[in-house]
Amino acid sequence: MKIKNLTILSVALATLFACNKPQDEPAFPNQADYKGTVTVEATSGTFDNEDIRVNFEASEDGTTATLTIYQIRFVPTMPVTIDVTIPNVQLSQNGSVLSCEQVVPLAMGGEFPRYTVTNLTGKREGNELSFSLNFGSTPTSFKGVLTVFEQD
Amino acid sequence: MAIFAGEMLVSVFLTLVVTAGLDTTLTASHVTALKEAVPTTRLATASSTVQLRTLQSAGAYRPQHLSALIPSLHIPEYGASLTSTIYLRGLGSRMENPVMGLYVDGIPVIDKNAYDFDWEAVRCATLLRGPQGTLYGRNAMGGVLALQTLSPASGEKPLFYMEFGSANTLRTGGSFTRGNHAFAASFRHTDGFFPNAAKGQNPCDPYDGFQAHWKWEKSKNNLALSNIFRLGLSQEGGFAYGLYENGTQYPVSYNDEGSYKRLSVLEGIRIKHSGAKYIVEGTASLQALADDMHMDQDYTAKDIFTLQQKQLSGAATAEILLRKANRTDSWQPTTGLFGFYRLNHLLAPVTFKREGIQTLILDNANKNIPDDIGYLDIPDQTMPVNSEFIIGSWNVALFHESVYRTGAWILTAGLRLDYEGARMDYDCLAQLHYRFDPTMQSAKPFEVPYRGTRNHGRVQLLPKISALYEASQTLKIYGTVARGYRSGGFNTQIFSDILQNQTMNAVMKDLGVYLDRPMTSVNAGHTEYDPEQAWNFEAGARLRRGQVKADAALYWLEVENQQLTTFPPGKSTGRMMTNAGHSRSLGAELEAQWNPGEWQLSAAYAYCDARFTRYNDGNNDYALKRIPYIPAHTLYAGAGYNWKIKEATLKLHASLRGTGPFYWNEDNTRREPFALRVDARIGLSFPRFELYLRGENLTDTRSNVFYFKSVGNEFFAAGKPLALYTGITFKL
Repeated sequence: MKIKNLTILSVALATLFACNKPQDEPAFPNQADYKGTVTVEATSGTFDNEDIRVNFEASEDGTTATLTIYQIRFVPTMPVTIDVTIPNVQLSQNGSVLSCEQVVPLAMGGEFPRYTVTNLTGKREGNELSFSLNFGSTPTSFKGVLTVFEQD
Repeated sequence: MAIFAGEMLVSVFLTLVVTAGLDTTLTASHVTALKEAVPTTRLATASSTVQLRTLQSAGAYRPQHLSALIPSLHIPEYGASLTSTIYLRGLGSRMENPVMGLYVDGIPVIDKNAYDFDWEAVRCATLLRGPQGTLYGRNAMGGVLALQTLSPASGEKPLFYMEFGSANTLRTGGSFTRGNHAFAASFRHTDGFFPNAAKGQNPCDPYDGFQAHWKWEKSKNNLALSNIFRLGLSQEGGFAYGLYENGTQYPVSYNDEGSYKRLSVLEGIRIKHSGAKYIVEGTASLQALADDMHMDQDYTAKDIFTLQQKQLSGAATAEILLRKANRTDSWQPTTGLFGFYRLNHLLAPVTFKREGIQTLILDNANKNIPDDIGYLDIPDQTMPVNSEFIIGSWNVALFHESVYRTGAWILTAGLRLDYEGARMDYDCLAQLHYRFDPTMQSAKPFEVPYRGTRNHGRVQLLPKISALYEASQTLKIYGTVARGYRSGGFNTQIFSDILQNQTMNAVMKDLGVYLDRPMTSVNAGHTEYDPEQAWNFEAGARLRRGQVKADAALYWLEVENQQLTTFPPGKSTGRMMTNAGHSRSLGAELEAQWNPGEWQLSAAYAYCDARFTRYNDGNNDYALKRIPYIPAHTLYAGAGYNWKIKEATLKLHASLRGTGPFYWNEDNTRREPFALRVDARIGLSFPRFELYLRGENLTDTRSNVFYFKSVGNEFFAAGKPLALYTGITFKL
């Protein structure tokens, strides 16, 4: 119940902050949690990871961000879920557009080249975050809404 | 502990001061070991008394040696001196609190780890069977064993003995009285009986132990004082457990240290003041125990894991009893107040060795991690899981028992209000280095602490009502209903299991890997268990006619919140006590002695049908299954004859002792058949000395006395093989 209230409050505050900014300068939190669905197009078929938390953390200069996807599963039969961190995601257009050609993600205590991220593209729009990428050869996408954030 | 040691020294000093002050004016007196207002022959409860002569002829000098000699009593000999597992009338469990209270000259022995000691000074052992909770309180649920030691007032001549035999067993000791003092001391050594295949066939169970006992008694006019002090020091091996696999029982074979060292001290004072109307008896004691156990906890030749259990405990007890002075009154009330406090500092580190890290920890973790993701490694050669506990326990009780005599009837009613509390502070820490391949290039140091406090307090009401009818001068019949309880406590032995699982889950969380089925085990909530209670309904008869003594009893025990040793599922490393079930025991006991002329004939038999009435462990329903470790029968039959040849006496004695069958597990799939063993003794006695030869288990019967599981493996402990001893006893 507390989480739900916090979410509503966060969204309301985000909306309020957004309303207080000029219309041509959409403001996005530098650090925020989004919750949504990760869709993985595995060789065995497409499947969704529901209620996945993604943490977005922008660098101090606002040019890059780190995305951390919590407890994701790459194939439905995988008996574990893992946290994956994608560093050095480029930000543009006031932080609303995300992109990354190629980066080695971090997982299980270090770099995880087996699931090298390529062709990451995404955007932040209002309270939503969406992006798509390839984890190795596995196309993956996320779409979620803001739940908790921290504004500078 | 320093404070405790100081109190003990002060206590001994005060005793010596009092002793010095009274030495010229007081005369010697006996102290009694029991609290009852009437002698055991008029008690409405089953009781057995074993005198020194019987102890000697049976070669009995430790509690285990009373097994079957007293009906329904089974104390298997395995493990080490701290084991002291006691089964009585279908009650008992292999660890934690005993179902039998132990009293030495009226002083309660609080720590079960000190129950097993050589009886260098014991002259008489009395076991009251059935719950004796009203007068004796905690743990007297199955009965009370009261030991009476050599009294200065006995005038017993100085005694010296030496015995040597199988496994280079040497037992020597002596006792004497002087004035108001009685002294006894003994030493025992054995090389051990069970070779350890993993250590070049060297016996795993050597023993060296020294015991000393001092008692002082005085009385003057209406004041009687006594003091006992006993000290025990021992160092031994033990844990002669052999693997049982695919129907084959293997000999003992473990590679790590198995040892136990113990220092135990008991200092007790008793004061009795006999006034015109009332008698006031006070008892106080200080007890200390320091021990250190090392165990190869996988009991195999593999480097899996070891356990050390080192404790330093101290206890103080006090009791005051108020009785009527006129012992001929028809109404004999006894009112008492009892209390004790015990503090135990326990270190119990478990060390996982290389193979244990692999099989118990890594294999479990990696089986859930897909190969294409990687695998977890702990490169350490050893992984310590340190556990430190400070456990305080205390008890206070107010009790009253009235014995009313009218005509041929002796009616008894009593009630005890008993409160016991306990607190455990635990501080555990697992330390390791881990690496996840291929993502981590080097191992990362990692620690998992686990700290907390648990406490509990319980109130017990322990009533008793009984009636004894003296049908004639020789025959008494009785009926009793009584309630007893066994204390609750803490499962310290399960902490390694908790830490092991918490460590792996913490490592996984640190890695950002989450198992769909996280390694679960018991948690801190499972580290407590509640008291066990029993209602006893008993009827019996007692016959005394000339040289014939016979006793018979029938009982029905209903047990609630039964404390059972259980194992967490899978390849777990711990074991724990749970209040898992309810049970009932139905039994019959017969005991007879007849000493016609130079013959001494004795027999004791008990049948016990102990079954669960309700016990479901979540996987299986064990209702109506027999309770593990409880023998269905105990049997003793002994015959002795003294043949006088001029000044000498040839003493012959032989006995049969049998126990079983046992079921070793809850589902009753492991069964040990009834086993008989034959003991014999032949002695040539002269006025001042006696030479003797005695043998134990003369038929070399091979039977098992213990069974357990560890990390999924099954183990048995075998009974002692044939042993022969020869000795000499001097009475100076």
